[in-house]
Amino acid sequence: MLRKLIFFLVLGWFGTAFSQRILIVNGYLHPAEGQEITSSLLEIENGRIKAIKNALSNSYNAKEWDTIIDASDHHIYPGFVAGNSTLGLTEIDAVRATNDFREVGEFNPHVRSQIAFNVESKVVETVKTNGVLLVQATPRGGFISGSSSIMTTGGWNWEDATVLSDDGVHINWPNPPYENMKKGEDDLNKGEKRYLDEVREIQQFFKAARAYATGKGTEHDLRLEAMKDCFTGTKRTYFHANDIRQLSDVLEFCTDFSLKFPVIIGGNDAYMLGQRLVDARIPIMLNRLHRLPERDEDPIDLPFCLPAILSKMGVTFCLQNAGGMEAMNARNLPFLAGTAQAYGLTELEALRAITITPCEIMGIDKSFGSIEVGKSATLFISKGPALDIKTNQVTTVLLNGKLESIQNFQEELYLKYQKKYKAANN
Amino acid sequence: MRNLHFLGIVVVWVNFLFGQYRPENGVAPSEFGKIAITHVDVYVSSGKKLKNVTVLISDKKIVAIGESTKIPEGYLEYERDGHTIVPAFIEINSSAGTRTAKSEYQGYYPQLESAKKGDFYWNEAIHPEIHGIDGLNANDDRFDELKKMGFGFVTPLQNDGIVQGVAPLLAIGAQKESDFVQLAELSLHLSLDKGVSQQTYPSSLMGSIALLRQAYYDLNYYKNHRDAPLGKQSMDPWTEADELPVFFKVNDKWDILRAEKIAQEFKRSFIYITAGDEYAIAEKLKEQRASLVIPLNFPKPYDLKDPYTARNISIEELKHWELAPFNFIMLKNQGLSVALSTQGTPTASVWTSLRKMISLGAKPEDVLAALTEVPAAFLGVDSLIGTLNPGTLASFGVYNKDPFYFEADLLEMWSLGRPESIKPFVPNTLGKYNLNLKNKRFEMLVIGNPQKPSVSLIEIKDIWDTKLRAYKKDTLKTTVNFSATGSDISFQFTTKDSEKGEAYMLRGKIIGNGSVWEGDLVNPNGSWGHWSAIRKSQVSDTSGKIKVSTAAIPACWYPNMAYGYDQLPVETTTVFENVVIWTNDAKGIIQNGYAVVQKGLITYVGSSKPNYPQNAKIIDGRGFHLTSGIIDEHSHIAISRGVNEGGQSVSAEVSIGDVVYPEDISIYRQLAGGVTAAQLLHGSANAIGGQSALIKLKWGTTPEEMKISGAPGFIKFALGENVKQSNWGERNVVRFPQTRMGVEQVFYDAFYRAKHYKKAWEVFGASNTSQAQAPRVDLELDVLCQILDSKRFITCHSYVQSEVNMLMKVADSMGFRVNTFTHILEGYKVADKMKTHGAGGSTFADWWAYKFEVNDAIPYNAALMHQQGITVAINSDDAEMGRRLNQEAAKGFKYGGMSEEEAWKMVTLNPAKLLRLDNRMGSVSVGKDADLVLWSANPLSLLAKVKLTMIEGVEYFNEEKNAELQRKNTEEKMRLLRKMSENSSRNDPKKTLLPKKKQFYHCDTLGEEGTSNENMH
Repeated sequence: MLRKLIFFLVLGWFGTAFSQRILIVNGYLHPAEGQEITSSLLEIENGRIKAIKNALSNSYNAKEWDTIIDASDHHIYPGFVAGNSTLGLTEIDAVRATNDFREVGEFNPHVRSQIAFNVESKVVETVKTNGVLLVQATPRGGFISGSSSIMTTGGWNWEDATVLSDDGVHINWPNPPYENMKKGEDDLNKGEKRYLDEVREIQQFFKAARAYATGKGTEHDLRLEAMKDCFTGTKRTYFHANDIRQLSDVLEFCTDFSLKFPVIIGGNDAYMLGQRLVDARIPIMLNRLHRLPERDEDPIDLPFCLPAILSKMGVTFCLQNAGGMEAMNARNLPFLAGTAQAYGLTELEALRAITITPCEIMGIDKSFGSIEVGKSATLFISKGPALDIKTNQVTTVLLNGKLESIQNFQEELYLKYQKKYKAANN
Repeated sequence: MRNLHFLGIVVVWVNFLFGQYRPENGVAPSEFGKIAITHVDVYVSSGKKLKNVTVLISDKKIVAIGESTKIPEGYLEYERDGHTIVPAFIEINSSAGTRTAKSEYQGYYPQLESAKKGDFYWNEAIHPEIHGIDGLNANDDRFDELKKMGFGFVTPLQNDGIVQGVAPLLAIGAQKESDFVQLAELSLHLSLDKGVSQQTYPSSLMGSIALLRQAYYDLNYYKNHRDAPLGKQSMDPWTEADELPVFFKVNDKWDILRAEKIAQEFKRSFIYITAGDEYAIAEKLKEQRASLVIPLNFPKPYDLKDPYTARNISIEELKHWELAPFNFIMLKNQGLSVALSTQGTPTASVWTSLRKMISLGAKPEDVLAALTEVPAAFLGVDSLIGTLNPGTLASFGVYNKDPFYFEADLLEMWSLGRPESIKPFVPNTLGKYNLNLKNKRFEMLVIGNPQKPSVSLIEIKDIWDTKLRAYKKDTLKTTVNFSATGSDISFQFTTKDSEKGEAYMLRGKIIGNGSVWEGDLVNPNGSWGHWSAIRKSQVSDTSGKIKVSTAAIPACWYPNMAYGYDQLPVETTTVFENVVIWTNDAKGIIQNGYAVVQKGLITYVGSSKPNYPQNAKIIDGRGFHLTSGIIDEHSHIAISRGVNEGGQSVSAEVSIGDVVYPEDISIYRQLAGGVTAAQLLHGSANAIGGQSALIKLKWGTTPEEMKISGAPGFIKFALGENVKQSNWGERNVVRFPQTRMGVEQVFYDAFYRAKHYKKAWEVFGASNTSQAQAPRVDLELDVLCQILDSKRFITCHSYVQSEVNMLMKVADSMGFRVNTFTHILEGYKVADKMKTHGAGGSTFADWWAYKFEVNDAIPYNAALMHQQGITVAINSDDAEMGRRLNQEAAKGFKYGGMSEEEAWKMVTLNPAKLLRLDNRMGSVSVGKDADLVLWSANPLSLLAKVKLTMIEGVEYFNEEKNAELQRKNTEEKMRLLRKMSENSSRNDPKKTLLPKKKQFYHCDTLGEEGTSNENMH
């Protein structure tokens, strides 16, 4: 069966709606929601999952299917979700012309990442081939960077790739006083004042936004319009904050403005908030695990341990990989989950932290994030467990039930030069 | 006549200065050159204190000190009964009165060449021609401040540059203006900071070190070649000053060890002006027999009111805060020569700091010597200043008490026989008095500090007791508002004779030794009267005695920071049993193996159980994996003040080996990631960078102990965008090269120069005439010649195939070989050519997309190069990834399907080969260094954690020990925070917590400051 698949690949029909009915047989199913099935039958019709069966107790009629993919000894996962990423908004970090994630100004909620998302980015295709199939393309900079959108890592154009447009507004909480000093300043009070001033600025903006949201007949205001849905909860309010002081103030801020669906992105010190955080029921998109502790004396593995700590506390969290070279590094998202597993999460918890949980947080869990009947067939097949580097070997990718190429330009270059040397050596 | 029992010889005063050197307005003032100071206690030297003696001064010098009842004729007497005389202190480290250094250059673009007009040394940071007395401002307040602290001598120089210049010896105080400058040229000053020079070179600590070394070679050469174009205006003054004592200003303790290497290389001896953290390496300094001038400005406590802030104070800073006041004691305990400097200390805190040191256990005589004799000896003028032996200059302070035992006041400073009042003399008035007013009688109590006594009155009254029907004595206590200026006193008090109180105002004088006071007063009714007080009994003055604590010196850790050890771990005989061993040799992976470690070496590896050595520590490795330690071929951790010397396109003379920094927490964190050795590489800011340091991660030891002894030499080369400054902004467009075309020519130019240089030395070596002159030593070309002689090996930062190909062609034609291409992300395109050339590749597992030249970087690179027979390593170039290199190796397995063993070798055996250390490291084989890591699972799996990391048989990391260190971190921090808040009163000056960004270096980090940001590589 796999041969048949490869045959089709060569014909190059991926990305088309050619295949209406796909059956994936005998794969080890990691649905992220519900029971794992060691040998499964996964029925896909019109881009959606039609049925999930146990291959040991069910049979199938090959004639009923347009495509049958044999996943024996392989593992099936829902597409991984790269939250909070500039993937698709940048191509080469050092080349300014390729950077489309940072707009001028401090308050830019109206700026939308969706339309800048480069679905044909070379970086995007290298991420897809590690099983990362959804990305929350997120603007950067200022106090309010803009609105993110959730995109698939493949498609013809950004419309085609959009899963949810303008899912939320991103607020960069001001740096705490200690990190809010200008060069040469030696008075912490200056940092303190700057911090408080900046927080006040954000408060003022939110007050205006709230007034605008409740008011009628006001003149159309691009910025405030973009904030409107934060007060109804249809749009998330993402607070980028890591330090305990920031987080503590963010919690208060969310209560003050009765925000319907706030989310913390980062949350290095979140565990220090204890019960307050649990009670606030604010989910956390946890800062990149592969980073160094903030302080010399911190436990050397503190970042690695945070998922298990939050999990034990009962806090909803997911993983993301923002940071240095984050676009390219989005392909290593699965291995953050693997690290979380090594440091205390169960395999399932680790998997959920990059699949269903981020989808719940972003509001796309009705269709994405797990392999369940009725959900989008956005999933992939790997030779081995996909959370570990050694065994993450993606052989098939489906985006909304459409087969995607699993060969990126990097593999093409590999094969090209391998061929060159083979020819030379013969 | 045995009135005088003078000590020492009587110096015959000869007035040889006939005539008038300076015109005087009017009649020349009378001046008594012969002075006797009587009834004083004198510190003749730190070890000799004489009580109740007379000091005789004649013509600016001490003539004699002795017991006396009568002073010789012709001497003017100064009665200083009961006061203590201390030799004037000497400040070596000061820029008082000197001109502020500033750069000449005003341009927009980087300044590559010296902007100084004239025949000076080529680098603006080398300016021996600068002279402390040039443009000296004698009115600088700092002289006054020093004087008020008891200083009489200072050797000022502007604190700027690497060869800073020559300092004079100044006498400060009441001496004649013509005696201000005692010696015009007394000491030469060096540092490792380039100062205000804006010339691009040097831009790093290692550059400063290399520049100073080259300058010394040039000086030596210049002495024999006065016509050499090395800058006459700099070299002539330096040649002259080369005999003077040399003071070397350092930024931290490690700089002392760095500078000491230079001292040995050039057979000079340096006296170090230090930063105050030397206590941590006191034992090492003892080995060097270092001479030190240490600071008195102990760290201020932090303001701890905010827990958010307190959290960010590092253990390192807290420990330093606690230990800095013990610095002097700990250095003296090692028998070192230590002087003290007030530089940076607020005037008010100088004596506080001195008393603190004494109260913590410093010997008073040592403290005195550190301010007087020791600096005098350092300066080579101990026959003139520093003691009050006959013949020395009459410069000293007069204190109301012995300042080394009591909280005393400096009342008078003498400079070369002339006094200046600092505070008025106040007679000791402590005691019980009878105060008599016209119709009132009081008992007056004067207690406390004689300088500022507190006075209270007790009125004695006869009161009619109606019950007893008799008079009885009653006492009423009244406090007095008392003030005194010298012996002029005034005081007011109010009695409770009426409801609103009766106010008295008194003014008067203390007569004689204080036993009688008298004066005028205003009575409550406004009438004037007279009053007097007579002392009935004296109260002895014990105020302000310095209490010496007997508390132990707090513990210093190795290193003195978070995760420091109490004691360094030691080498143990160890047996690993029942463990999966990844041997990396012909034995392959042994499923149930045994390994024995003895004396730091691996002595057995196999699947059968060996005889266990006696007293061996046995580690059951069931379920675990044992591998050789990870070797990071490309690392920038553990480096002090700059990873790049980008000031010039060729900087082969600089060496990371000079700037290894053993207190980088990254060392410990990487041990915890299984890394045991690393090549600390120069960055990629220029075509020919600097030499590498090959170290083992021996946490807690010194730089020299970390360096791998006998390791071959390496040097960093670089190509591409960083070298041509592509991403450095619009200012950086003037350094050659700015294109890949230029990069090639930089190499040709450098190696042609090296060849000519080599030839010149060969000619010199072959000549047998005695007239033959050795060529000038050029450190840069020396290193390039080592490459030509295959004695130093190249690791070259590279990305695209064109440049890789180019360098191999340059190398082939110039007769050298590129040992390793690092990064080499397009290595897969030229793997065949690399193989032919004989180069290895050390690459990232999957990094790309961060700049244009990595556009074709692919994660299959390692596998493809490996398939072509190239020795391939995976490196970090990153402090974070450095602790997960095992995971990066696994990517070789993921992308391109290498075998697990081959993938694993990419972070162990292969880097060992590339670093030419594979005879000692890189595999678990008998005879190799026991650099071993025990993993909880297959090391290529994300699930694998390090249980234990061993270097040469010493366990520098293990899981349990780590948990213990972590617990100790917390305990120590809480202890110190508690102590800090207990010990700092509300009014003490507090330190603001400043954002201290972690220093993480990457290939393209410029300057001495590291960055917390992610960077290009």
